[in-house]
Amino acid sequence: MDLSYTDEQLLLRDSIQKFISDKYDISERIRITASDEGFSRENWSAFAELGWLALPFAEEDGGIGGTSVDTMLLMEEFGKGLVVEPFLPSVVMVGTAISEAGTTAQKAEIIGGTIDGSLISTFAYAEEQGRYDLNNVVTNARSDGDFYFLSGAKSLVLNAQSADKILVSARTSGDSTDAEGITLFLVDAPAEGLKLKNYPTIDGLRASEVSFDNVKVGKADIVGPLGGAAPIIEKITQRAILALSAEAIGAMEVLYQDTISYTKQREQFGHPLSDFQVLKHRMTEMFMEHSLAKSLCMKATMLEVQNAEDAKRTIHALKFLIGKAGRFVGENAVQLHGGMGMTEELRVAHYFKRLMVIDSQFGNADHHLSEFIS
Amino acid sequence: MDIEFSAEDLTFQEDVRTFIKENLPAGMEMWTKRGEWFEALRKKGGWDVAKWPVEFGGPGFTPTQRYIFDMEMGRNSTPPQLPFGVGMLAPILMNYGSKEQQDRFLPGIRDGSVNWCQGYSEPGAGSDLANLRTRAELTEDGKHYIVNGQKIWTTLAHIAHWIFCLTRTSSDGPKQEGITFLLIPMDDPGVEVKPIITLGGSHSVNEVYFTDVKVPVENRVGEEGKGWTYAKGLLIHERTGLAGIQNSVFALEKAKANAGTVKVGDGTLMDLPRFKNKIGELEAELMALEFTELRSLASVSAGSDPGPESSIMKLKGTEIQQRISLLNLEAAGIYAAAWGNEPIGPGFAKAATGGYLGGRATTIFGGASEVQKDVIAKNVLDLGS
Repeated sequence: MDLSYTDEQLLLRDSIQKFISDKYDISERIRITASDEGFSRENWSAFAELGWLALPFAEEDGGIGGTSVDTMLLMEEFGKGLVVEPFLPSVVMVGTAISEAGTTAQKAEIIGGTIDGSLISTFAYAEEQGRYDLNNVVTNARSDGDFYFLSGAKSLVLNAQSADKILVSARTSGDSTDAEGITLFLVDAPAEGLKLKNYPTIDGLRASEVSFDNVKVGKADIVGPLGGAAPIIEKITQRAILALSAEAIGAMEVLYQDTISYTKQREQFGHPLSDFQVLKHRMTEMFMEHSLAKSLCMKATMLEVQNAEDAKRTIHALKFLIGKAGRFVGENAVQLHGGMGMTEELRVAHYFKRLMVIDSQFGNADHHLSEFIS
Repeated sequence: MDIEFSAEDLTFQEDVRTFIKENLPAGMEMWTKRGEWFEALRKKGGWDVAKWPVEFGGPGFTPTQRYIFDMEMGRNSTPPQLPFGVGMLAPILMNYGSKEQQDRFLPGIRDGSVNWCQGYSEPGAGSDLANLRTRAELTEDGKHYIVNGQKIWTTLAHIAHWIFCLTRTSSDGPKQEGITFLLIPMDDPGVEVKPIITLGGSHSVNEVYFTDVKVPVENRVGEEGKGWTYAKGLLIHERTGLAGIQNSVFALEKAKANAGTVKVGDGTLMDLPRFKNKIGELEAELMALEFTELRSLASVSAGSDPGPESSIMKLKGTEIQQRISLLNLEAAGIYAAAWGNEPIGPGFAKAATGGYLGGRATTIFGGASEVQKDVIAKNVLDLGS
């Protein structure tokens, strides 16, 4: 057992911290989120040059051969900077699918393009009637000769407006909630019959409602076994939960530390707010929630890397705790900042909104608690 | 970073498991064969004093081994040791006591032949411990201290042979100074013990009165006036042990089993979502706390301080203990009320009520939770005085 980062990992962490402190303060983030695509292509190229986009990919696929532990390290720092570039959809989600189940040609194209920064991709999986049930897929893929024709609608597809490739889960057989019969397809964007309704998310990211009207794809665009995508989707989801949890850990750290600094300098009743015991105790509780969630994040991540039997259950426990801790830390950061916590001017509000959204993605606290005890 | 135990650690874990399987007394023998159990632990190579350093006969476990050891012992609910001698006084004697004191007291502590109790709290010195007033005055010949005063909440004073005490030898300067650490035999005619019956109906704490008790200076640990410094080190020792994580893992499993025997409609209490959710929340938080302990151990074995995470162990650990005891109380249903000598209702009910009530103490002793938060705010978060 070893709970420390290697020297290489510490160097990586230093380089991310340096990037964020040099180039990613809150006003810069606001500027980036207001741009056309909602993220910075310049930053994305820099990430590629720094090797961050190659981090979790196997060496034989041109990557650095990192694991979820490396992704955790990176996402925790991204969480501290509230980074908006599409690392989660491109590298974590589509990257996992192609690494786990892609053909040689798919790996060369998608992983290669992701690593050098030339290709952006995203995963369209969520459907309105499905809530958090990953097997509830109504979007249909009709087979016709050598082709499939996709029809249906997906929700909250991150960065779809910028994506060159959209990975789509669609039903090739079975009933609407069967685990069997779901297949993954890679769709080029734009494509005939593919429609995007783009919108900003409350936490400063970009997403789209994506509809498919007989979008034509070839057999070579199938990722993994026909009708057997459920385990791949589960893997993608687990990795995404781990990445989002690490991001939440970083965001919570900034929130409790900003709250400490703020209450030390803000005076009321002739005292700094930090003199009041009720506030000290609240901040202690914020620190505790963060520490405990961080512990479970580390544990779940290492279990996933090890492919351990209890990884799945631990990830449920983690997402539950991240939701609960994130809510507590976020709400109290706003509360203790008083009126200033309600403004867009301080960064607290931005971190709070990000934590709020993280809880809502891939199953909220209640959902994962039920999965955990079932 | 990786979570797997090394091959050596896995071998060690297997060794501990085998040892428990071969030596742990079963059922009621748990109480009659305690002596044999601790003797077997001792023979195994100092496992009876798992936290003692090698030079005092401890096993010299690595932090990971200690974690594994505690985990296996806790999860098998092995007989507990009274903490006062082995866990609390012994480290003080090892660090600050004279060679004579070590030779005189450590053997009796280890073999359990001498029971100790802790004389810290006083009516006017609870969370504000340094406010203590029990006086110890040096006689003119410099050979004895004369002790007068009162201690309270003294756990197991009624079966203790000795008490280790914080006494005031000077009132000049800050109240943390002028405190002296004395070892006092309980059979001295000037020592009087009065029981306190707590709300769970049990007698474990007492009041202890000292009237002109004559204590030879050889029974002073370390220097006069330095007792607070020594005790503070010990309090940290006490607090890390109070989280009781492994016992909670065991207790939670037991609470689930208890709830599984309680019929509700066609199913059991375990089928009620509200109850099940509470179990799930506890299990997730306990998992997180357990790994927090590992993080703290990892910092220690890497040669650093335990890390800020360690400060939350007692605070969160005792909260979890109480929440588990509440599950049992709820599972007992109407039988939570029954309080005779004869067991009424489900077998676990009486212990559930007693456990819930008695367990309220865990967030009070060893530094109340509110004081712990003050300490974390000051020492970890740098939040003023």
